[in-house]
Amino acid sequence: MKPVKIAMLSLTHGHTRKYYQSLKDNPKLEWVAVHAETETEERNFLKYGYDIPCYLDEKEMFDKHPGIEAVVMASANIKHLSQFRECAKRGIHVLSMKIPTFDPDEYTEIEELVEKAGIVCQVELEMHYNPVVTRLYEIIAKKELGKISTINATNITLSPMWAFPWQGVPEDSYGKRVPLKKGDNRFRGGALSDHPHIFDLIRWLTNNDFEYIYAEEGPNIRQDIEVEDNLIVNGKMKNGISFLLDPSWSRLEERLEVPGPGWEIFPKRMEVNVCIAGEKGVMLIDCYGPNVFHNGRPNDRYTVQYTYFDPWIGLMDEFVECIRNKKTPKINLKWHRKTIEAMNACYESISTGKVIYL
Amino acid sequence: MQNMWKNICHGLNIFKSEIAITEINMKKDNKDIEKALTGLLEKYNIIPPQPFRLYKDSNPDVINLLPGYVFADLKLEINQIPLLAWRVRRKFVELKKIVEDSVIENACLFRFCCMGSKDKWSLSSLLYREMDLLEFIGNGKIISVQAVITGEQASNVILRLDTNALCSIEAGIQMPPDTPLIDRHEIIAQRGVASDLVVDTNVPQSSIYCYTNEGEFRYTDTDMELYGFDDLQIDHIRSAFQVLKNPDLSKQWQLQHKHLVNLVRMVFESDSKREKMILN
Repeated sequence: MKPVKIAMLSLTHGHTRKYYQSLKDNPKLEWVAVHAETETEERNFLKYGYDIPCYLDEKEMFDKHPGIEAVVMASANIKHLSQFRECAKRGIHVLSMKIPTFDPDEYTEIEELVEKAGIVCQVELEMHYNPVVTRLYEIIAKKELGKISTINATNITLSPMWAFPWQGVPEDSYGKRVPLKKGDNRFRGGALSDHPHIFDLIRWLTNNDFEYIYAEEGPNIRQDIEVEDNLIVNGKMKNGISFLLDPSWSRLEERLEVPGPGWEIFPKRMEVNVCIAGEKGVMLIDCYGPNVFHNGRPNDRYTVQYTYFDPWIGLMDEFVECIRNKKTPKINLKWHRKTIEAMNACYESISTGKVIYL
Repeated sequence: MQNMWKNICHGLNIFKSEIAITEINMKKDNKDIEKALTGLLEKYNIIPPQPFRLYKDSNPDVINLLPGYVFADLKLEINQIPLLAWRVRRKFVELKKIVEDSVIENACLFRFCCMGSKDKWSLSSLLYREMDLLEFIGNGKIISVQAVITGEQASNVILRLDTNALCSIEAGIQMPPDTPLIDRHEIIAQRGVASDLVVDTNVPQSSIYCYTNEGEFRYTDTDMELYGFDDLQIDHIRSAFQVLKNPDLSKQWQLQHKHLVNLVRMVFESDSKREKMILN
């Protein structure tokens, strides 16, 4: 199979660094260029020492590398629509970050652009390529717990907004400045906007969709930011399975401009834990464990050092497979739309204080 | 004195109520726990105001000291003292102190989870326990509940304390029979996090893990004065001891019991109406 010529856009997304190794190592890919949105991003990229040309203008990059077939759209949510327009115009396949857009009309436009251009658009939900989650899916499919009653899941992290400031700017993250609720000085676009995985996961595991959803926000752990940093969500799927989801930024971080060792204040910077109860028993799952631990440099703090298998390997393999064999990715725009709708329902529930039916 | 207590506890029939079943599968039975309580009372020279039982007894002259959820469906009789037994467990006392003494500052989020087996627990009993722990550790009162329940087996509740902290309680009774209670109590604050689980784990630790040809055995012994009793029995004995030592406590706990019974009712009502219930 001929390697796919691929580039990266913007380099401002929190997952940007995750792709460097995949793009370099995957023999099915030929990494040809990157576009950095700012000189700071360019500097940070150049420090890694990859022999890949870096451009500050995305059109210049596309013009100088007409062979680019695909991009990793590693940008702020607010940038996605315009970058989709450019890619569709040029017939370039897109690996989109987790949130193509929260705006339903923009989402429709992106779907139409992709459809008309005949390009592949895969949404980056890397947990589908996690071996623990794969095992979990198999256990559920084999009905080892019998009829499921409830699925509870956390997607708890530190806040990446000091390294990726757009995640703390309502317009850049949510797409516009919408107050969280009446009388609240916070706006949509924080922890919830960063954490679609568990909303997607529960749909995937149950092969079902949300019936109704309720969400409530807590007082912010970080007092000096203008987006929400913690909330709890519950509700029911159409098949009666209840759920409780925690998509919070409830692990404090050192406010580093470039993520790296010493980022975490709490020993563990991220978790996706799932608890499933059914008529035959209960299952507890740590999707990113077990791990190793140290209390060494830089802060002499007890720290979880992750050991999980790199899910971006499987994710990129599927992307290439879809491009070369004209297949539709598992996480395509149509599938993902209902996840985005559920997240918007959470914001609406916070705003109204009521259950939202989907 | 010693003889008096021996007489009170002598010749008892074990009343196999729901709570008795909860604890009957242990090495030590109700007779043992009453004997242990008697021993503690003697050791510390505590004279109870009247005879007592640690199980249901219809004699109105005998104080019934049982975990509060046992009385949840009943009109509380004057001789029935609902024990908030979990409040005396050391790990919860320490979590409460961590919050109260501002070791962690400005708690924002309480994440509680409690999973038991239906041979020992009901969903209501777990909710009763966890909501009391929330108010106890959180040093506040619950002002709203929003719940989803599946088949009276699993509930996911979002609550708010009057401190404005947001809270979640996951409670379920779908663990296999005889499984010990698995619980988690995590408090996330603007400064610091406190929890009864080790970082990067999902289940409580034991003190001893013994791997033998006969299988794996675990032991967790937490009380030298009550050595050999399990955690629930220890909570029962210690909380009864506190009430007998400090009779004012029984009035406080009776009031709290009524509040908790109302909260449990509101959880089910919230699920049924699909609405957040606000406490007046």
